[in-house]
Parts: sequence; C-alpha cells; structure tokens
Amino acid sequence: MTGARIFFVGGLMSYRALFGWLSPWIFIPTFLVAPIFQILLFVYIGRSAGVESDKFYVIGNALQYCAIPCIFAMSNTIAGERYQKTLGYILATPAGRLPLFLGRSLPVIGNGVFASAFALSAGGAIVGIHVPASSIASIALVIVVTSASCTSLGLVSAALGLRVRETATLNNIVFGLLLVFCGVNVPLSELPGWMSFIAQGFPLTHGIEAARRLANGQSFGSVGGLIGAEALIGAAYALLGYQLLRLLEWQGRRLATLETA
Amino acid sequence: MTPVPRAVVEVRDLRRTYRTSTGVFRRRSVEIEAVRGVSFEIGEGELFGLLGPNGAGKTTTIKMLITLLIPTSGTARVLGLDVVKDSREVRKRIGYVFGGERGLYERLSALDNLRYFAELYAVPPREQKPRIEALLELVGLKGREKERVEGYSRGMRQRLHIARGILHDPPVVFLDEPTIGVDPVGARELRATIASLAEAGKTVLLTTHYMFEADSLCDRIAVINKGEIVAEGTPRDLKSIVADKTVVEIETFGIAEETIEKLRNAPGVASISIEERDQAQVLLVQSAKGLELTQTLLAMLEGTTVGRVAAREPTLEDAYVALVDTAA
Ligand SMILES: Nc1ncnc2c1ncn2[C@@H]1O[C@H](COP(=O)(O)OP(=O)(O)OP(=O)(O)O)[C@@H](O)[C@H]1O
Ligand SMILES: [Mg+2]
Repeated sequence: MTGARIFFVGGLMSYRALFGWLSPWIFIPTFLVAPIFQILLFVYIGRSAGVESDKFYVIGNALQYCAIPCIFAMSNTIAGERYQKTLGYILATPAGRLPLFLGRSLPVIGNGVFASAFALSAGGAIVGIHVPASSIASIALVIVVTSASCTSLGLVSAALGLRVRETATLNNIVFGLLLVFCGVNVPLSELPGWMSFIAQGFPLTHGIEAARRLANGQSFGSVGGLIGAEALIGAAYALLGYQLLRLLEWQGRRLATLETA
Repeated sequence: MTPVPRAVVEVRDLRRTYRTSTGVFRRRSVEIEAVRGVSFEIGEGELFGLLGPNGAGKTTTIKMLITLLIPTSGTARVLGLDVVKDSREVRKRIGYVFGGERGLYERLSALDNLRYFAELYAVPPREQKPRIEALLELVGLKGREKERVEGYSRGMRQRLHIARGILHDPPVVFLDEPTIGVDPVGARELRATIASLAEAGKTVLLTTHYMFEADSLCDRIAVINKGEIVAEGTPRDLKSIVADKTVVEIETFGIAEETIEKLRNAPGVASISIEERDQAQVLLVQSAKGLELTQTLLAMLEGTTVGRVAAREPTLEDAYVALVDTAA
C-alpha cells in the first residue's frame, strides 16, 4: 500500500519537484519543436543524398527523441536532488528504494512517449508519410516500450549521480552514442560491424527497427521478437541501475559523498 | 515483570573519520577525525543538548544517528535498533531537522513539500491532511503554504524544515540548530514547540550555539570539542564548574592588546574573554568568588575609556567558554 503510493503519487510529485521544464516556455521548444528540426534536417539530407526514404528518417528520429526526456529526466531524479540538497533528506526516509526511484520513472516514460508520438505524427504530417492505420496501435506500443528502455538507461545514469556530480555531461555523450549507433539515420547494415554489434546492447535499436517494419505494413506478430528484445534490454538496464543505486547509496554513506562529491 | 528501562539513544565509542584530498595535480589524501570516541545515552522523554564550537563534530554525530553516515567504528542504537544494521527501522522512528536554507523542493509549495514527505514517511493518506494543517499552524506558515518555497525567507524555510521533521510524529527527534535564522519572536515560539515535544514524551537531541536556549530547554547537556565529549551533565552541573567564580563585565573602547595581557596576568584573574559589541570591546573577566577585583581591574585600566561595569553570576555560556577554552 505505502509502496504503491510512493510509486504512483510520490513519483508524480517528485517529477513536478525536480523539473523546471514543466513550463510551456521550455516544454514546447524542447520537446515539440526541436525534434521536428532534427527530423527535417535528416529527411532533407536523405533526400538530397538519395539514400533512405522519408519514412526511415521520420521514424528513426522521432523514436530516438524520447531519449532526451527519458535519459536526462531520469538521471535528474538524483542529480536534481543533489543540486537542491534534498538527497540526504529523501535517503533518510524509510521509503523503499524500489518504489521511490522506479516510481519516478513513470512520468518520465510518459514524457518520452509524448515527445516521440508528437514528433512522429507532426513530423510525418509535415513531410507527408503514410502509415497503415492497422499499424498505429502497434507502433504506439513500440514507442512505450522504447521509452521505458531508454528510461532504464537513464536510471543507470541516475545511480551514477550518487557518486559524481556531473551526470549531464555523461548524458550528452550517451545521447550522441544512441544517435550514431542505433540505426537512427544510418541503417545498421551500413555501419561498421563492431558498431552494429554494440548497438544490439543499446536501447532503441530494436524498437526503431520494429517501428519501421510496422510502418511498412508488416504484422505485429512478425516484429514480436524485436519488441521483446527491446523490453528485455530495458529490463536489464533497470536491474543494473537499481543494483548500482543500492551499491552507491551504501558507498555514499560510507565515504560521506552523498552531500559532497 | 517490568522491562529494564533502557536508553532511547545509546551511543558507544562512536568514531568517524573523513577522507578528503587537497590539490589538483599532486593530490594528497587528508584524514579528518571528526568524531573521536563519543559515548552518551539519552533517556525516554529527555531533551538532550549537544553543544560545541564549529567543527566539533555535532552534525557528524547526528548524521550517524540518522543513518546517513556509517560510523568508522563504535555503535549507536536508537530505541534498541542498530543504526547500521536496522537502518530502515530506525528511519521510521526518527525525525530530524538541519539548520539551513537548502534541502527543500524550491518549485513546490510548502504544502506539496510536506505532502511528498508524508508519502515517503508512510503517513496514512487519511491522516495526512489534518496532520499537515496542524503542523503549518504550529510553525506559523498557515496562509502561505500554497506559495512556492523559492520565494520563502530564510526563517520561513527553517519553519518548514521543522514541520517536515516531525511530520510522521516520530518518537525520537534530532534537531541540528533548529532556530538558526529565525526571528526572536519566532525562535521563542519554536523553543516552546521544542519543549512541548519533550513534554509529549518524545526524546529530543538538540544542538545549538545559543547557550540560553540550551539552558532553558535541555534536561542534560554534553559539551563536545574536537570530536570528544569534554563535559556532561545538567545545565546546573555544568554551571557549577564555574560556580566558584564571578564574572565582571567591563565595557571598554579601543582597549590595547598590552592592557588585555596585563589584566590577564593580574592576580586573581582566572580567564578573560572579549566580546566585540559595536564600537565597544566587552571584557568578561572570570575570577574566584569573593575576590573583589572590580576596583583593581579599573585601576589597571587607567588611560582606557571604560563604559558600563557590572559584576554578575556565571551563566551556562561562561561554563561553556571555560570548558572549550581549557580543552583547546
Ligand atoms: N563530508 C565531509 N568531508 C570532509 N570533512 C567533513 C565532512 N563533513 C564534515 N567534515 C569535517 O568534520 C568536522 C566536524 O564537522 P561537523 O559538521 O560535524 O561539525 P559541527 O560540530 O556540526 O560544526 P558547526 O557548529 O559548525 O555546525 C569538521 O572539521 C568538518 O570540516
Ligand atoms: Mg553542524
């Protein structure tokens, strides 16, 4: 009961507490306008180079854009506490760490889903791509799963925030890695072998592939494996992040780094 | 069979060292022994004061008790629960307040700050609303609770900290300089609140730099200096350390160093401390009771402008100064 309240109610309140971007002046440019620019940029590069289809770029970039809220916001659930000097206060509460921190992921996933879904529909409408109506629901599911797996990666970054102050720098690097490795704008088959190999272990890779196939009319059944892989990778990062969180919290109490570092 | 009454807080030979490094290129690791073998006990319903100069180790001791720091060695128990092994159970039963302006969610209102912590402390949803109402009333934030904390003054923040610290009605409360930054009237109200916590049966550990506050509130006091407890007892016990002394306060203007040295070495003078007040330097001269030093001192102050002169009984502050001075 308390665990559930901390998960749902607490998660939502901490989201309001920690994020300045819940103002329209930040939210609209960051999550609604910027991804459209990214989509248009790559669509036009693609057109002039005559490589992939518009659909390829719209889907790749729209899905990848969920990484912005998912990674940065999730990471900020610790970095932001540290910045406001509230970290000690929440860690000294008896709240279970699982509902406390995983609860913070729910609004973040919601934010990611919204950003990707908006980018996909607005970007798609501007560029003029056609997606079969029968695929819409399955693509929506892919967006949810992909946002969740990116958020899990954000949890790993959040945990590192218990030890180091500047996780924002790290997040920028991760965002760049995802952009290059996960087949967002260059098909995996065109990347050097080692890169596409590493990409198998990143979130996004399988989700983007699944969404592209669905948009091209393939059935949900035929992409089930890809969606499963995306979910599994997300679960693995979530587990890693949670374990890291426990470990670094203990270390922080031992080394007195929770409030300094 | 009645159970043996045991201390609510039991601290045994507690130690904590910090390791920090200095220098950017040639990093050198420095060890700071912040708490060096501290032991004390606090009984149920007792209001216990921990006094000591800046950097003495008060906050470090409290952080170990509230489970935020693992002791380097030694043990601490709260309500019989070990602060390291049973940390979660300890957390449910304690509240704490740190002095300072940070540590609140700036973008949330006071109300939402309290609501969030009410969730984390598992205050039942039905009880949250009346409890928060009552606390806002108690700390004097009623009417301002819907405003974002970012617009709060220092004292308002401190009041909010206090409300948060006792939100879940914990039996044990740690207060680290709770009245810092609060205006005189507010501080008096807060002292009344602290006293009422103890009256309600809660066990309270309080640190403060205001000696009159400790004197009026605490049942027992420990004085900590450089990580070690140098004295412990009731305020009256501590004052008895200087009970055989009287204090002469002499207000001077522009007194010379040599003159102070001369006075310090004068026969009968036990110690001298100096307080700067505006343009004046107030000499606090401790001497054995019965010695009528005032005239002698004034004679020695020939040539220095002297203002008000008064002899008085020693206070807790005099005892504290004597303790911390001799330990230095
Ligand atoms: N995280 C830390 N890393 C390194 N040293 C620390 C840390 N926290 C405290 N110290 C050191 O430990 C010593 C004791 O500090 P502490 O905060 O416990 O003192 P205090 O008695 O609360 O002082 P004050 O009255 O100024 O609040 C100081 O020398 C301080 O510099
Ligand atoms: Mg302190």
